[in-house]
Amino acid sequence: MKHFFITALKIIAVGVFLLTGKAYSAQDNFSFDTPEQRAVFLELTAELRCPMCQNQNIADSDAMIAHDMRRKVYSLLKQGKTEAEVIDYMKARYGDFVHYKPPVTIATLWLWAIPVLFVFIAMLFIVKRKSNQPPQDMAAKLAKADEMLEQDKE
Amino acid sequence: MKNARLVVIPLVLFLLLVVFLFKGLFSDPRELDSQVQDKMLPEFSLPDLMQPDVIYTPDSLKGKVTLLNVWGVWCVTCAVEMPYLTQLKNEQGVHIVGLYFDQDLDPDFGTKTLNRVQQEVTSMLSRYGNPYAFNIFDVYRDTSLDLGVTGAPEHFVIDTNGVIRMHHIGDINERVWRNKVGPLYNKLVAEASTAGLKTGTEKSASADNGIDASLNSTRDAVK
Repeated sequence: MKHFFITALKIIAVGVFLLTGKAYSAQDNFSFDTPEQRAVFLELTAELRCPMCQNQNIADSDAMIAHDMRRKVYSLLKQGKTEAEVIDYMKARYGDFVHYKPPVTIATLWLWAIPVLFVFIAMLFIVKRKSNQPPQDMAAKLAKADEMLEQDKE
Repeated sequence: MKNARLVVIPLVLFLLLVVFLFKGLFSDPRELDSQVQDKMLPEFSLPDLMQPDVIYTPDSLKGKVTLLNVWGVWCVTCAVEMPYLTQLKNEQGVHIVGLYFDQDLDPDFGTKTLNRVQQEVTSMLSRYGNPYAFNIFDVYRDTSLDLGVTGAPEHFVIDTNGVIRMHHIGDINERVWRNKVGPLYNKLVAEASTAGLKTGTEKSASADNGIDASLNSTRDAVK
């Protein structure tokens, strides 16, 4: 049983490895000057979003536009552009949408603010409730206990 | 009092959620903020699809209100809208220019010849009608990328100064033309024609002056 479990785990691990290998096979057509450049390319294609297949990054997507964007990212990197410059280049053409990291603006601020606000308000609510109720209960309970004591005495 | 609040607050939150989700039902996730709106056409220098010797630049599109249609023979929706575009050209004289790009022509491999592309285009245009004044061939799809094109068909309304006034993603049919693209196009054409009339009269006025001047000079000569 234990052996079976371990083999199953191994198979899953190999499967995951193969899948991720396939997802980033985009790099295969490109040759880079340095391993750092390759790393930047992989990072960029993973965090730039395909405007056509909207829930895929351009490394995963097989749409023509994703092909072209990969090609563009590659040629820009080869020209010596930095990561930020490539992102700006794409944003200038496809908007903030194209980058998976949204910039903080008044419209997107709520993405961060709402969870914090929610926790804060919920905590206030709980604290307020806790501090309100027990005294009432205690008073009632004490009164009841007193009553019982009185009854016992009789 | 406290009970009322307990009922009202969740109810209000729930109603807000309902409004938000209801709006989501009709929102178009494909809608992107176009980055080229109200900007000049990006620089390009591309050949004509049929006559590769002819080179177009953004200046080729100046002086006339243009509907730039991004298309390709591999694009099914393009074939669907083509008869309507042809009708627009024939009935309303809409100036339509194609920005053609090919899907199979992978710049990394270059498997397809220009000849083959031209053949496909000719056969498609003879089947569905030819709405184009001319076709610009975006060989490496760089200009499409600069324009923020995500696929085909897409349309750009460009005014006489070469400024992009509208980026429409998707096909143009009667409804889209009537409600969205047509009004802007016709407005720009009207603006251009009044401006054109002005410069036109100025021109003819100066031409008259020229004639007068030459008459004067002949008179002088006669004297």
